[in-house]
Amino acid sequence: MLLDIYDPKAPPTPIGIDLGTTNSIVAYVSDQRPVALVTCDGAPLLPSVVHFAADGAVIVGRSAKAYATREPARTLASVKRFMGKSADDEETRRLGAYRFAAAESESDRRVVRFDLGSRVVTPVEVAAEILKSLAKSAVDQLRRVGGVVITVPAYFDDAQRQATRDAGRVAGLEVLRLLNEPTAAALAYGLESRKNGCFAVYDLGGGTFDVTILSLEDGVFQVRSTGGDSALGGDDMDRALAERLLAAMGATDAATRTPEVVSLALSSAREAKHALTDAERTAVTLPSRGGADVTIEVTRAELDELILPLLERTGRACRRALRDAGLEARELDGVILVGGATRVPRVRRYVAELFSREPLSDIDPELVVAYGAAIQADLLSRSSDEVLLLDVLPLSLGIETMGGGVDKILPRNTTIPAGARATFTTYADNQTGFELHVVQGERELAADCRSLARFSLKGVPPMPAGMARLEVEFHVDENGLLAVTARETQTGIAQRVEVRPSHGLTDEEVERMLIDALDHGEEDFEARRLADARVEAERLLLATRRALEMDRDLFEAGEGERVEAVVAALASAVAGQSAAAIQARSDELDRVTHAWAGRRMNRAVQAAIEGRAVTDVERRVEGAAGVDAHVAAHSAARESR
Amino acid sequence: MTDPFATLGFEPVFDLDLALLERRHRDLSRALHPDRYAGRPATERRDALGRAIEVNHAFRRLKDPIGRAEALLERHGHPVRETGAPPADPAMLMEVLERREALGAAREKQDLETVRRLAEGVAEREKVSIAALARAFAASPPDVGGAEAALGELRYHRRFLDEVGAIEDEIG
Repeated sequence: MLLDIYDPKAPPTPIGIDLGTTNSIVAYVSDQRPVALVTCDGAPLLPSVVHFAADGAVIVGRSAKAYATREPARTLASVKRFMGKSADDEETRRLGAYRFAAAESESDRRVVRFDLGSRVVTPVEVAAEILKSLAKSAVDQLRRVGGVVITVPAYFDDAQRQATRDAGRVAGLEVLRLLNEPTAAALAYGLESRKNGCFAVYDLGGGTFDVTILSLEDGVFQVRSTGGDSALGGDDMDRALAERLLAAMGATDAATRTPEVVSLALSSAREAKHALTDAERTAVTLPSRGGADVTIEVTRAELDELILPLLERTGRACRRALRDAGLEARELDGVILVGGATRVPRVRRYVAELFSREPLSDIDPELVVAYGAAIQADLLSRSSDEVLLLDVLPLSLGIETMGGGVDKILPRNTTIPAGARATFTTYADNQTGFELHVVQGERELAADCRSLARFSLKGVPPMPAGMARLEVEFHVDENGLLAVTARETQTGIAQRVEVRPSHGLTDEEVERMLIDALDHGEEDFEARRLADARVEAERLLLATRRALEMDRDLFEAGEGERVEAVVAALASAVAGQSAAAIQARSDELDRVTHAWAGRRMNRAVQAAIEGRAVTDVERRVEGAAGVDAHVAAHSAARESR
Repeated sequence: MTDPFATLGFEPVFDLDLALLERRHRDLSRALHPDRYAGRPATERRDALGRAIEVNHAFRRLKDPIGRAEALLERHGHPVRETGAPPADPAMLMEVLERREALGAAREKQDLETVRRLAEGVAEREKVSIAALARAFAASPPDVGGAEAALGELRYHRRFLDEVGAIEDEIG
């Protein structure tokens, strides 16, 4: 039983969430060590299954899973595979017990829609239910929960990332950061070993595969390359085995493959796969078409043979990642296994052969990503400078050219945040607009890449061909999320255009969903807006007060007094009841600290160039002690196992 | 975009200490990465993001010999565009053509061994071009014409090696 000492003034606890295809986990950092919280199922792993009952109730986790074979169409599993996908994606044609809603309009086709019978839901809404359940467990145990770091496969494209962030927003969470799963795992491992060197992370989850090559040098985790397949995982092993079971059951055509039968075959396949981790053979009993039960024996050798083609796909991605990093497998200092599917013995053997070494799996491969997310959430909310994660863009970004080709603007494996600028000119006389199509992927034709956004810039004054110039700027932020702005420069009428994503939700849509989900709609929404504004303002105050302690010498005459006056005004607004007042004071603080912030940034840059420590020695020592304590706690935990 | 040497605080030379370049990039990232500005005012976060992007862009250019040579030529008032480059040596062009043909044939036959052998040959030539660039920039005054010629050659080699990479991806 936890001691129930609750300090209402205590800062909220940041959390990390691994939103997995098969299972999801929420963790936080306690005494400098990551801990997985117990979910509504009474265990750290919450099955990523959501059941939408006919009476409107929403059930998540193991109890939802119980409905999978009885009411498959109302019970959604592996929804991560549909995040950010359009309704006609290949994924919707793979073996699965889903019923998809027919698309009636253009906007319907943007996203996958599941038909529950009584209503239609999108993958974002389903994922939001999983996140809500995890957040509720966290609130039950930690009382006040702060921002959240949500992990995504490194190989997720922009649309899949947008969808994940939208799910967090729809769940009413403050998403601090999207973090790549292999990087999260490396963070959890790296803090433990504190060993500099190059590592490969082989992450085979339920539905996605990532390989990341990264180096750890003096607390900086730098991703050298990443590769993978966002539609390859343990699910595909289950499908391969389920095909065999369906054949034995006599379910060979669409008419006999009802959602109930497919769901049963898939869950039996999964059970058989798990059993074969320890056993050499296992028997599966299933009803057959004739009515009598059939018993099918599956051996580990058979499973190994079925999954080999999947493993070879991971091997290709690994070789490419090594090539992109400019490394040979023997130059690595270690290989880390992540993801539930790496428990399959054949997978371990394959990885060992591929990298010519025994992979590491001493942190639970199913919990390690959530641990990393919790550590990053903790580091971010403390503005800690112990560790820095430098990630990369997983897939090249480009613009469709006139002939349907792709003009690459940012190549894959570019360190993020990253930016690029491209200039386009008109090709026809008196052309008054530009159409741009932004795509992501490695294929030569735009049609084969992922379409991220189409947008047009109108209102260009008529000019001869080639005279009007459109300048397009791409920004990829630390989450791997893209923002594009465009302006016409030649005329001096600089027009700035924000890109509307082809996929993903608008701010208004998210707000609508939030209001709908609350019991008292608008009223609750206002209360939540005030709470959110307070949390954000408190963080702003904390950061400003810290800066005041360190960089007071950079003030110009009278500036310090102005800043302190606004800090005091914001603090009293936080104590008040108006979200608008808090926002106004926050904006004012932004304005009065801007010039000073620029000077502080210049000083930090100068210090970095001169090779001096950016912060004072005392704080650095404190940070190092934090890592040591973390390591000690971890080794103690390992010895006790 | 600003001068990448200035952004990263380096003297504008071709022979850069690449280990120092990596360390400088890490130190500057520590100072400017958006994660270090979590909770700060919106404008400050936006400024830091812009500067972090600039640092990453400068690092990407300087760590690549082609980007480094381009940045130096820009400083010498010779901005380089691929189309404006001086004509290549006909003998070298002939050689490039022959090697590309051989690569195309090997791709057709999925002959990874020949692809690799061809790549090794070009990688050697790449080193020669990089050495020529270093010599041209080290001369006093810098031999801009020589640098442009060596850069042109280096581009041919790079394109060849990029194609090899694409073939390796394809064949696995």
